[in-house]
Amino acid sequence: MSLDHLLQHPALWRAREQGEATVRTGLPTGYAALDRVLPGGGWPLQGLVEILADRTGIGELSLLLPALARLCSDEGEGGWLACISPPHPPYAPALAARGIDVSRILVVRAPPAEWAMEQALRSGACRAVLGWAPCRNGQGLRRLQLAAEQSRCLAVLFRSLRDAREPSPAVLRIALEGTPLGLAARILKSRGGRPASVLLGWIDAAAPTHTH
Amino acid sequence: MARSDQPRVTPGVSLLPTPEPVPATRERSRPRLALGGGRRRGAGDPAPATPAARELWLAVHLPHYVLESLQPPASMPIAVVDLECGARVVCDCDALAAAAGVVPGMALNSALALQPGLHVLPRDPGRERVLLEATATAALDFTPRVNLEPPDAVLLEVRGSLRLFGGVRRLCELLRRRLQSSGLAPRLALAPTPLAALWFARAGEEVALRRPDALAARLAPLPLAVARWPERALRSLATMGVRTVGECLRLPRDGFARRFEPQMRLELDRALGHAHDPRAAFAAAARFVARRDLEHEVTDTERLQHACEPLLDELCGFLRAQEAGVEALELRLLHRQAAATRLRLGFAEPVGSVARIMDVLRERLARTALCEPVRAVRLRSGPLVATRTATQDFFARECRGGAAVPQLVERLQARLGAGAVRGLRLVPEHRPEKNGDMPLFSEPASTSARSAARQATCPHFSRPVWLLAEPQPLEGDERPRYEGPLEIEEGPERIESGWWDGRDVRRDYYVARTQSGARLWIFRERRAPGGWFLHGVFG
Repeated sequence: MSLDHLLQHPALWRAREQGEATVRTGLPTGYAALDRVLPGGGWPLQGLVEILADRTGIGELSLLLPALARLCSDEGEGGWLACISPPHPPYAPALAARGIDVSRILVVRAPPAEWAMEQALRSGACRAVLGWAPCRNGQGLRRLQLAAEQSRCLAVLFRSLRDAREPSPAVLRIALEGTPLGLAARILKSRGGRPASVLLGWIDAAAPTHTH
Repeated sequence: MARSDQPRVTPGVSLLPTPEPVPATRERSRPRLALGGGRRRGAGDPAPATPAARELWLAVHLPHYVLESLQPPASMPIAVVDLECGARVVCDCDALAAAAGVVPGMALNSALALQPGLHVLPRDPGRERVLLEATATAALDFTPRVNLEPPDAVLLEVRGSLRLFGGVRRLCELLRRRLQSSGLAPRLALAPTPLAALWFARAGEEVALRRPDALAARLAPLPLAVARWPERALRSLATMGVRTVGECLRLPRDGFARRFEPQMRLELDRALGHAHDPRAAFAAAARFVARRDLEHEVTDTERLQHACEPLLDELCGFLRAQEAGVEALELRLLHRQAAATRLRLGFAEPVGSVARIMDVLRERLARTALCEPVRAVRLRSGPLVATRTATQDFFARECRGGAAVPQLVERLQARLGAGAVRGLRLVPEHRPEKNGDMPLFSEPASTSARSAARQATCPHFSRPVWLLAEPQPLEGDERPRYEGPLEIEEGPERIESGWWDGRDVRRDYYVARTQSGARLWIFRERRAPGGWFLHGVFG
């Protein structure tokens, strides 16, 4: 057991974190507009986050990249990132440009994506687990939510917008839609918060910096 | 019974003059075979300064090694038979058969008359050797100095291990429990010299003798048979009335040397610690191979998993002794008729713990269909890999959790196949498709990863987070279409590279937006047929 473990014990509090810890339990998303409407001021690190989007390309992964950079970069916590059944192969240079350490990424091609995601969550090996699974039955979702609850990592499940009508045990559900003005996020459910809509605009990951 | 004064009346066969191998100096200094027996040590006899006093040898004797090597089921009377002079003779039997009156040395027919339900097994010298080596390998857990004493004993020098294991009694208890768990009934004896320990163990006397000067007195009552000398020599000694080790030690040294094999006198000297006893140390095999016959044929994989547990225990004990781990294991499930089912287990890093191997084995067995019931399992390790144990820092600030990653990868690969879990690679390359995925842990994390990242990412142009495995052709000539006409946002960025390996590309890349707000990475082929292609998605 290292000192770090001890300091994370719930019974311990440090004076300089007083007041702050009670409010900010979430991981900052990197988008101020989104942080404001999320309870805890960011992505919850305990429990499942559901992102509902019908198509790739609207910035659904870019939305997570600032948080992932915090968790999975050398400057940050240096944790591992697992991508379970992604729709396309992730492109390493784009992720590296956002500060994510690509040597600590697992890409799993799994037909039973829910099983693989649950394993990744339960193993405690990863700091962030992203899964693309249809999750048609409620029991599979509940298992994932339980595993995410027990792990201390960012657990994100990508599903289709059609699933918005189905009930879900996830602590946070966000529906994403591409609009002519950029990405619009609708918070359908958030534990401790209330439904809201945010227009995030163009949040593309590797937008040109135009420094020349 | 003091008949040592008439050794000259011996059968003629042993009167053949034998060459005298022992140097004259030793002969002069010690006119008798030994200083023990009835004589007190005289002042003129120098105390032998041999290294034996600084060693303690533990002998492990397996009286039923013939039977135990065959791993027989426990619930029926069993006899192991050997061919002697054309007749089948019982050479070992279990307790049930012994209760019916079967004894070793009995002809098989007599044994069958006594116990008609006797289960008869043929003797297998190969497996007896395997048993002995497995015993020696188990002994390596207790000391690095282990010798084989074929066919049925193993010797351990334990002097240096006593404190670690908490004394002689505790060490013997641990060793005994370890051997009993693999179905053996060992006899243990401890003495300052290896031969003395071996003789005590063969005689069935479980002594723990630590003082070298008490050796002669304690050895004296043992029957001479424990030395396993040639039958002829033992017979002639018996006709002289010499039946115990003590009586033999009282014989005049020069006469004994002349009548019997020099090896015999050397062994007496070695047993008492008067002569050095150099021995070749046992080195465990470079791979682990073990086999286990199942008591009943097993049809379901869950019970098979339990049946494999003792094998894994054995394997991990072996690995601990070697301070090594394995990266690959092969498990063969032997059936009655069908060819053996082979399961290969791969690990992401050298492993040596039962729980870790079991984890992978469970997943593998769960997706294995057995074509026939399994009769036996055989476990074979790949090459051993030296492991280093890392210590954990109390003040470690970083909590990366990376240690559990190989274990996760193994579990996923065991169920989904080796190719299902991949890593990402950064290559200093302009062609996008060169930055694909790669097998995990295939190459050590290079320190130049950052510079590779700098070269692979171009800071002035956008790069998508998703790259399609194959570029996908788009409709449209001048204006590409993808779910409606595309709107070009950025570009062109020309990528022209790869003339040296025949896969050269000449493309103009653009960032385009669809009507529904998705951003795509498309390119226009500059070479002959031309056309638009979709290559990436800005997810």
